Amino acid sequence: MRDDRVNLLCKIVAIVSFLFLIAPLVIIIIASFTPTAYVTFPPKGFTLEWYEKIFSKDTHFVDGFMRSLQVGVIATVVDIFLGVTASLAVTRYDFKGKGVLLSFFTSPMYVPSIAFAFVLLQVFSRIGGVTGMWKILLGHIVIILPYIVRNTVAVLTTFNWTLEDAAASLGANPVQVFFKITIPLAKPGIVAGSLLAFLYSFDEAVLSSLLSSPKFVTLPIRIMNYMELTFDPALAAVSTILIVISLILVVLMEKFAGLDMFLK
Amino acid sequence: MAVLELTNITKKFGDFTAVKNMNLTVADGEMVALLGGSGCGKTTTLRMIAGFTEPYAGEVKIDGRVMNKIPPYKRNVSIFFQNYALFPHMTVFENVAFGLKLQKLPKDEIRSRVEKILTMVKLTGLDKRYPRELSGGQQQRVALARALVTRPSILLLDEPLSNLDAKLRVEMQVEIKRIQKETGLTTIIVTHDQEEAVSLADRVIVMNEGEILQVGGPKEVFDYPATPFIADFMGFSTFLHGTVEEKGADGGRIVCSGVSLAVEPAELKTLEKGDACIAAIRAENMEVAEGFGQNVVGGHIRSLTYKGQRTRLEVEGCFAEDIYPAIHDYEKTGEDGQILIRLPKEKIRVYKA
Repeated sequence: MRDDRVNLLCKIVAIVSFLFLIAPLVIIIIASFTPTAYVTFPPKGFTLEWYEKIFSKDTHFVDGFMRSLQVGVIATVVDIFLGVTASLAVTRYDFKGKGVLLSFFTSPMYVPSIAFAFVLLQVFSRIGGVTGMWKILLGHIVIILPYIVRNTVAVLTTFNWTLEDAAASLGANPVQVFFKITIPLAKPGIVAGSLLAFLYSFDEAVLSSLLSSPKFVTLPIRIMNYMELTFDPALAAVSTILIVISLILVVLMEKFAGLDMFLK
Repeated sequence: MAVLELTNITKKFGDFTAVKNMNLTVADGEMVALLGGSGCGKTTTLRMIAGFTEPYAGEVKIDGRVMNKIPPYKRNVSIFFQNYALFPHMTVFENVAFGLKLQKLPKDEIRSRVEKILTMVKLTGLDKRYPRELSGGQQQRVALARALVTRPSILLLDEPLSNLDAKLRVEMQVEIKRIQKETGLTTIIVTHDQEEAVSLADRVIVMNEGEILQVGGPKEVFDYPATPFIADFMGFSTFLHGTVEEKGADGGRIVCSGVSLAVEPAELKTLEKGDACIAAIRAENMEVAEGFGQNVVGGHIRSLTYKGQRTRLEVEGCFAEDIYPAIHDYEKTGEDGQILIRLPKEKIRVYKA
């Protein structure tokens, strides 16, 4: 009897939490189809006018999207290289100050991004000549690194290094061992970390708002700027597209990294 | 198929010397076991032969060629790891084919060689499974197949039976021996388990603290350990301090705690009358006696542990030291009783104290 009641309570809490998380997203998606000039729910009719608008030239959303994509992809690719090598160093070798180094690699996660943005702005203005994309890109390379390092280290700490010896004794040279054994087995961590890192970069607003220049504006900043002037359902439409993209990436991540078969 | 020679090899880790000036020659097709407790240097020796670590001094030679600077992937030495080290992201087929693919062999040849070796280790039909879908015994066979399929010149086995239950152990023991004889591979086994060593190897090398203590055939090392230390390691249960009482051509006697014991004259070769000595005997070699006679001592059972086929006793009062016989089919169960135990003359080893 008592168990049943506890069960019911758990179910209710779970459902309410789930609704609380999902409802705003559902409302935004539905509201993006309203023909009214402001966001209403439930929508009064159906139109794709706002989707047309976000793809038109004057909103610059497409331009912003491409810029965000550019920064996100480049920063993630650079960090896969940096993050995986850093993770290998701290997991494979035993040396003094290993823990400190690992904390250092993940520290950008804990430093307030507004403080970091401020420092970066100072540095760039001192150096001078660092143009639009580079400012944001360099900033993003730093702040998304922890996601790749943490996820890769998590996989590698349980890695059975004997597998590398086994491969070597079967005739694999160090390069072959790396690409045929180490990387495939670390892949779940690398993929998960990279997707999180990319998503973080893609909708990062604090750093980008301080570092963007009129010539190089990422999508989140475009949206913020747009919001200051207008508050029409085009925002709901662009949000819907972003939600869908994130969803696709998360599903991909689950597919690649959610399988714990490789962790044994 | 190769001859392995280790000449004066030494390995140091900082101040710690793991292997001291070791010399060993393993003949073509021979199966040798390195036996010792943890930290005795057996695994370090194995890693030097495999090429994972380089000796600090001395030479590792395979077929007369110095291998010290040759990396593992160029040595053609296969190793079977205690935890199998199967690649979890590859199927059984891919695991076994790994070494052959690296040799860039034609697909057909790879397939036929993998199939042949899987038949040899009795794993046919499992080639599409992943390691996690196999039982421990099957995983072990895959590891063995993977090590054998590349036709190595030397096969290294690291504790090959230690992860298996009693039934599988016997099965694998027979299997490994059969496969080794079939392939004629020079094989080196590393183990801490005396049973594993004597059941598999043609020659057993007992190691401690980086040094070789004794080299001999399995029966020799098992029945005639060179020192009390090795005897203890090889499962001798009872050690008695005493002195040599009589040394003759056809018989010898020693006295332990006032009890005179007959021993084989060969045991006293290096001893003189009056020398202090240690007598050692294996638990299973002692037996219950019906009445007093040669080498029969009376004592009091202090404790008794039933171990299936044998019952292990702790008997006090025979000597200054307790004795620990393991009696076959022991009928009584009472702990509080007198007992007569015979220490058969030919089973007693005598060492200089």
